[in-house]
Amino acid sequence: MNWHKLLLFFLWIAPHVLLGVLAVVLCKRRLYRELPCFFAYVLYEIAQFIVLFTLYVVPNATGKHYTYAYGATLLFSIVLRFGVIDEVSKDLFRESPFLKVSARRLLQFVTGLLIAIGVLLAAYAPGDSSAKWYAGVFVVNRGAAIVQSGLLLSLLLFSSFLGLSWRRPAFGIALGLGVLTSADLAMFALRAAFTSEAALRFLDLLMTATYLVCVSIWIGYLLAPELEPASFTVVPPDEVETWNREFQHFLQQ
Amino acid sequence: MEQGVSTLSPAMISPTLIAAWILVGVALFALGTLVYVAIRSRTRRVDLEGAVQTFRSLDIEAFRNLVDAAEEAFLRNNLPPKKFREIKRQRAWAALIYAWEAGKAATVLARIGQAAQRSSDLEVAASGVHVAESAFRLRLQTIGACLRLLTEVLLPHLESRPVPPLVDQYERAAETLFRLGRFSSGAHGFVPSKSA
Repeated sequence: MNWHKLLLFFLWIAPHVLLGVLAVVLCKRRLYRELPCFFAYVLYEIAQFIVLFTLYVVPNATGKHYTYAYGATLLFSIVLRFGVIDEVSKDLFRESPFLKVSARRLLQFVTGLLIAIGVLLAAYAPGDSSAKWYAGVFVVNRGAAIVQSGLLLSLLLFSSFLGLSWRRPAFGIALGLGVLTSADLAMFALRAAFTSEAALRFLDLLMTATYLVCVSIWIGYLLAPELEPASFTVVPPDEVETWNREFQHFLQQ
Repeated sequence: MEQGVSTLSPAMISPTLIAAWILVGVALFALGTLVYVAIRSRTRRVDLEGAVQTFRSLDIEAFRNLVDAAEEAFLRNNLPPKKFREIKRQRAWAALIYAWEAGKAATVLARIGQAAQRSSDLEVAASGVHVAESAFRLRLQTIGACLRLLTEVLLPHLESRPVPPLVDQYERAAETLFRLGRFSSGAHGFVPSKSA
């Protein structure tokens, strides 16, 4: 077995083992109740890996079988990712009735804009223009990656701009998925432009390595304890009064 | 070497490759922004002291005066058009800075409100909800105000309308922040630590 295959196997298997750990963490901390779509996505990714890995190693399975299975499972994975993004956005606005309405309306506008860009790119950007169905799947994936990374970026920037506090799990999921979809976008664009065997092998390695980083981000944020509001501590009442006077002085000036 | 040049030249200018690199650029920009937001969120602290200082630095009466429609009408009627446009541009620019700073203060307020929402003291938590909601509204309103004031800076000859909601939101947010401070004076009071 050459080094490339060894590295590829490691980068392919390791993230899915970690996804198994992630599923256990989600169960133990009962986070599957709050994040059902993300939990379903994690389980689905593990199942997808089992199917694809089996097809890869079983001698009877051909490259065509693998491509069919990859394309079909990728489509459902895209759908689940949209569900996860919806879940984290709901989690972000959960405490503000005002933002539930106004921010979601703004996000709907951003989604519409990104879908339009994604469709235009799917139609005009580089890629295999053959009528083969899996070529279409890759084009759809590239368009979806634009919409998804744009949505996650908008969520993160919007929250930073408004001073919205994320809960650690939701932030970790958004960050990890953002990294994954952005990398997806770059990789699929490069795959369409560079079709040599060496380039494709390198891009495969890069993609699986990115996935490992992304799963590590999810695990890191899910295991890390929720930050306490450290800026609030008990102090003597006279000090509070000093603050009150400061506020009063400010409001009356 | 020659083979490398002949392979590269047509490929580098092909629309396929240009489009691919544009997409890679967009993806790298997104990745960079994600990393920046992640790092910033780890280093950021809720700083009530800073919020108070920001609020103290804003003079609401001065802002109200700058966006007063009656004042503007008076200036329009009593100044030559060229001078009026110059003055109006300066007033709009000053008001824009106020709105920008109020927006920044609102962001800090929102963080304070959300931190207070997690307090075990029900009164502080309830007040935190009010602070956060007012701050979110104020932040969004400052964006609208900034855009309008920027239009006034660029096109001073256009007749402007008053901006009362922004002032109201600012006052409401400040009032709620004051209430939050008062609630903190109880036995289980929560106020910011100096180290924050």
